Amino acid sequence: MSGPYLLFRLSFRRVRLLLGATGLLIASVQALRVLIAASVHSAGQFEEITSLLPPAVRSIIGPSLASVMSFNGIVCGAYFDTGFMIALLALTIALATMPASEIETGFADLILARPLPRHWLVTRTIALVLISIVLMLLMIMAGTWAGLALFAPPEVAWPSARETGSLALYLGMLLLCWSGIAMALGAGWRRGWAAATTSLLAFAALLLDWAQRLQPSLERIGWLSPFHYFNPYDLVAGKPLPLEDLVVLWAIAMTGFVVAYFVISQRDISR
Amino acid sequence: MRGLTKRYGPLTALNDLNLDLERGEILGFLGLNGAGKSTTIRLLLDLIRPTAGQASVFGYDCWTEGLDARARLGYLPGELGLYLDLTGLETLDFLAGLSRQPVAPRYRQELCDRLELPRSDLRRRLREYSAGMKRKLGIIQAFQTNPPLLILDEPTDGLDPLMQESFYALLAEVKRGGTTVFMSSHVLSEVERVCDRVALLRKGELVLLCSVRESCRLAPRRARIYFSEDVSAPPELPPGLQLTDRTPRQWRLTVVGPLRPLLTLLAGLPVKDLELEEPRLEDVVLKFYRQEAS
Repeated sequence: MSGPYLLFRLSFRRVRLLLGATGLLIASVQALRVLIAASVHSAGQFEEITSLLPPAVRSIIGPSLASVMSFNGIVCGAYFDTGFMIALLALTIALATMPASEIETGFADLILARPLPRHWLVTRTIALVLISIVLMLLMIMAGTWAGLALFAPPEVAWPSARETGSLALYLGMLLLCWSGIAMALGAGWRRGWAAATTSLLAFAALLLDWAQRLQPSLERIGWLSPFHYFNPYDLVAGKPLPLEDLVVLWAIAMTGFVVAYFVISQRDISR
Repeated sequence: MRGLTKRYGPLTALNDLNLDLERGEILGFLGLNGAGKSTTIRLLLDLIRPTAGQASVFGYDCWTEGLDARARLGYLPGELGLYLDLTGLETLDFLAGLSRQPVAPRYRQELCDRLELPRSDLRRRLREYSAGMKRKLGIIQAFQTNPPLLILDEPTDGLDPLMQESFYALLAEVKRGGTTVFMSSHVLSEVERVCDRVALLRKGELVLLCSVRESCRLAPRRARIYFSEDVSAPPELPPGLQLTDRTPRQWRLTVVGPLRPLLTLLAGLPVKDLELEEPRLEDVVLKFYRQEAS
């Protein structure tokens, strides 16, 4: 009975188009990134480009700068590129606030008038967010492999599956964390407010993280930003995936989901 | 419903509602906008939670056993929130999939035929639907599992007169089959025609609960009397009679209660003709509405 509901939104042309278009765009940009990395490598210009980076960017990237500004680093940059992250965060927030949208449009009235427990509004959304995140990460991987197969110079080593897998897991957990925040807010607020507030929070958190990397004295409050627990540059430099960061991001996501379940179960479903 | 109450802070949307529906009856649920009709319906569907009191559907508590209660009802909201990307058929299939009762394809087809929503229309996306077509789809989704209880919010809103007739016929048919119908409506002629009983809410309180026939008895009857000669108005009318318009050869009166005082008054007058209008539900309900408005 709940099965059709679980997969319901994926049957929507609009959702499929959104996911398909975003995925294709990301894969194409990633393939293009590999092409750029290959041309920089062929020209031997990594050091030159690194020297052109402003000091602030150098400080944000930190000691892993040399690893990041390499062929491998640029190829793997898809997993921490600010543009990619903003696009994926926007997609995740849009999907995570779907329960609010269904309540506002009155569609929730129709489905909850059936013998369907309220928690399905949240469970289904979590499932959709997870599927979307996995799909987007697979598209980045597909773009990476397509780009490498087409453009990588023969002498360079490809990023290992372990490295890309770790980066994908890291980025996926960051997206899940923000989807939890969006879902918690969307469970009680109108969709527009929830999406806008989550976006502003994400932006503020990103700025705070950057500021803290530039100004260590801000570390006292830097821990409040979820981006504080996302250090992909270290992974590119060869360090292992920091489990404690994953646990924090996971915990934030789970807290958001639990809040969403609780709020949805208690609130009045009215427009 | 027992002592059903819903408050939003200082505002009481519904106050101590006690109401029973009998199996197989059609109950018209009346009231001005904001009287508490939608609040009551949403409480029954567990979309909102009561401040006090309780409600049950076929013995199943609407909150603690909400799934069992909602498995036995079909709901037509006043404003349909539909996904315009879907086709009519996809919407019906999806909503049917969420019900415990299977949908008999022949019955659904019969509903579509009666409401003139052909398969070609069902294959179109809802963004192409008119308001009337969406209403028809809403009715079909509520009826398609043939539930023992139907909760209908303004069911004929947006339907053309012919479709309204088809809907009334459908309603009469499901009633004969034993279905109970809880129906809110602003169309008083419709309520008078199809409902067995009426419940009237005013500012969240139940102020009238009786059969349609009984409610009509509460209404003043209108009388028009024609005289063969000029007649002057009596200085004082018996209790229950009120002169609303008068010419030397014609009076218009309203009569509350028995007709005897009127007949006694007319006994000595040169009456040429007497017209009596049947009392209408509208007269009673409008009286309550006007009291609320004032």
